[in-house]
Amino acid sequence: MLEIKNLHATIGGKEILKGIDLTIRPGEIHALMGQNGAGKSTLSNVLVGHPAYTVTEGSVTYHGKDILALTPDERALEGIFLSFQQPVEIPGVSMVNFMRAALNAKRKHQGLEPMDAASFLKLMRERRKIVELDNKLTNRSVNEGFSGGEKKRNEIFQMAMLEPTLAILDETDSGLDVDALRIVAEGFNKLRKPETSAIVITHYQRLLDYLKPDFVHVLLGGRIVRSGGPELATEIEQHGFDWIKEEL
Amino acid sequence: MNQYLELFHSQRNLLQQHSHDVLNAQRQAAADALQRQGFPSQKVERYKYTNVAAAFEPNYGLKLDAPLTTDVLPDIARTYYGTLANVEQDAITALNTMLAQDLLVIYVPAGERREHPVQLTNMLRSAVPLMQNRRLLIVAEAGAHVQVLLTDKAESGQDFLTTQVTEVFVGEGAQVEFYDIEDSHERCHRFHQFYAQVAAGGKLTHTTFTLASGLSRNRTDVMLTGKGADVLMLGCVIANGQQHVDNNTLIDHQAPGCQSRELYKYVVDQQATGAFAGRVLVRQEAQQTDSVERNANLVCTEQARMWTQPMLEIYADDVKCSHGSTVGQLNDEALFYMRQRGISEAEAHMLLKQAFASEVLAEVPLEALRQRLQALVEKRFRNCEDCRFCHK
Ligand SMILES: Nc1ncnc2c1ncn2[C@@H]1O[C@H](COP(=O)(O)OP(=O)(O)OP(=O)(O)O)[C@@H](O)[C@H]1O
Ligand SMILES: [Mg+2]
Repeated sequence: MLEIKNLHATIGGKEILKGIDLTIRPGEIHALMGQNGAGKSTLSNVLVGHPAYTVTEGSVTYHGKDILALTPDERALEGIFLSFQQPVEIPGVSMVNFMRAALNAKRKHQGLEPMDAASFLKLMRERRKIVELDNKLTNRSVNEGFSGGEKKRNEIFQMAMLEPTLAILDETDSGLDVDALRIVAEGFNKLRKPETSAIVITHYQRLLDYLKPDFVHVLLGGRIVRSGGPELATEIEQHGFDWIKEEL
Repeated sequence: MNQYLELFHSQRNLLQQHSHDVLNAQRQAAADALQRQGFPSQKVERYKYTNVAAAFEPNYGLKLDAPLTTDVLPDIARTYYGTLANVEQDAITALNTMLAQDLLVIYVPAGERREHPVQLTNMLRSAVPLMQNRRLLIVAEAGAHVQVLLTDKAESGQDFLTTQVTEVFVGEGAQVEFYDIEDSHERCHRFHQFYAQVAAGGKLTHTTFTLASGLSRNRTDVMLTGKGADVLMLGCVIANGQQHVDNNTLIDHQAPGCQSRELYKYVVDQQATGAFAGRVLVRQEAQQTDSVERNANLVCTEQARMWTQPMLEIYADDVKCSHGSTVGQLNDEALFYMRQRGISEAEAHMLLKQAFASEVLAEVPLEALRQRLQALVEKRFRNCEDCRFCHK
């Protein structure tokens, strides 16, 4: 279970998160919506420990553990995964070596031996199929020369490999064409275990139609100003955010 | 320097008795040249980045009475020995010529292709500080092919000082691949003076991997003397601790239509120092020269230092030349991305450094060696015992 309490965070001395409270129980899917610049990516980055951000107040625990005290890799090993809004390209590091390092780090954390080459490649193949990621892409360097949509698909492929317990999808739908969105969303659902929870950041209804969130939150000016069920997303799709602002 | 001249004058007889006439014939001139020049100070352009006198200061033992084993190819030796390695222009070449006792000759007659690489392994082992002066001559006549692999290793944790002079003659349409792999330890000091001449249509590949050493200084001079000659120069340096690695190269385009490609990459960590000075000279007669020179460096700590100095000097008007250098750090966003996937900081650093070096590895033409080097590079990045990133 993820518990965020009164979270404040700054970047470059500027306060972006101004007191976030959010509790996510195992198996729940929470959609996070809000206008550009509201602080959605900031929240994701803070949760996974991006060094550019400073937490000035509040706490975040995951399964009772204070994750703010952990390094980014330790948080990942606790099962937290971020599908980046803008995945970086890493020339010279092959997808295979990258995934092997990540998977073996996880296995080591679980007290398991590194996976043998044959089983590893088999797993790659299997998971690649779920998100229909082209073989050619996994033979390249990480994200190098991938199109916007391919990068997003690659994020979900990595998620499929690492099987996190908390997935944060930061606009995974943007850049995906209609078919790709369906494939990725269905892949996500297929991979999901009953205890897997997720924070889904999106500007559109379409992804949520597939993922069926339990809760929808609206982030505005660094705070969650409104929470509701899936119908809130529909209202936002139809009417935008102004009515929420007016009600405040 | 005087200790070396004194040694030469006092031990000359012993030295000559255990050496070949071809080498003996050039000693006196070399001693005179050394006396005249002295060791280069750091004001001398080509020795800006390395303190030579300090490296030669300690007292090293020298084994002068090794028996002379064979006497083959004296004519080849007589024809080529010392003709490229000019003692007047470099004190270390002079010192080597004054003291060298053995000459290894690799001779490939016209048209002959050596199917397998010739591998030379230097294994240093000694109970006392030791100096050695090595000499290598490679002659590939017209149309000949040969691959030579030189590996430097040290078995005992002792202070070693090595000078090596290599002369390479690439005949018309001949191909020589020369691989120089240094994988010794921090108490090894090596000065390698490499001189090559490439005739028309000939091709030289020169690859140097400095995986581990204390001080490495490589002077690499390649002259393209015939039309359409071609050189590929690759360098990969991994330095940490107190290591000092200085590559000083010259590619001299003397004939038209020649091509040169040069890529040197350094990963400089901890307190190590790297230096690269690469001069490409395009003479007036070298029209239609095609030359690319690049030096890229990864500097991993605040204390690590990198000097880079690409130099392009063009006297011909119809040429295509480019040169450049970069100095950068590990990419923070890439590091963060990897760590978000659970990869430790140490492992992420390692992957990025390997990625950086992989560009040079990818260019290594000898397939089997490329794979071996890949493994050695990875091992090097993982093994460094005092490396602050290793948590093992
Ligand atoms: N280095 C920085 N210095 C100052 N402000 C910054 C810095 N980086 C980001 N910000 C600001 O933080 C705010 C929140 O940005 P964030 O990326 O979290 O928004 P978002 O909700 O994800 O928006 P979008 O929907 O466009 O992705 C923005 O106003 C942005 O300009
Ligand atoms: Mg965002």
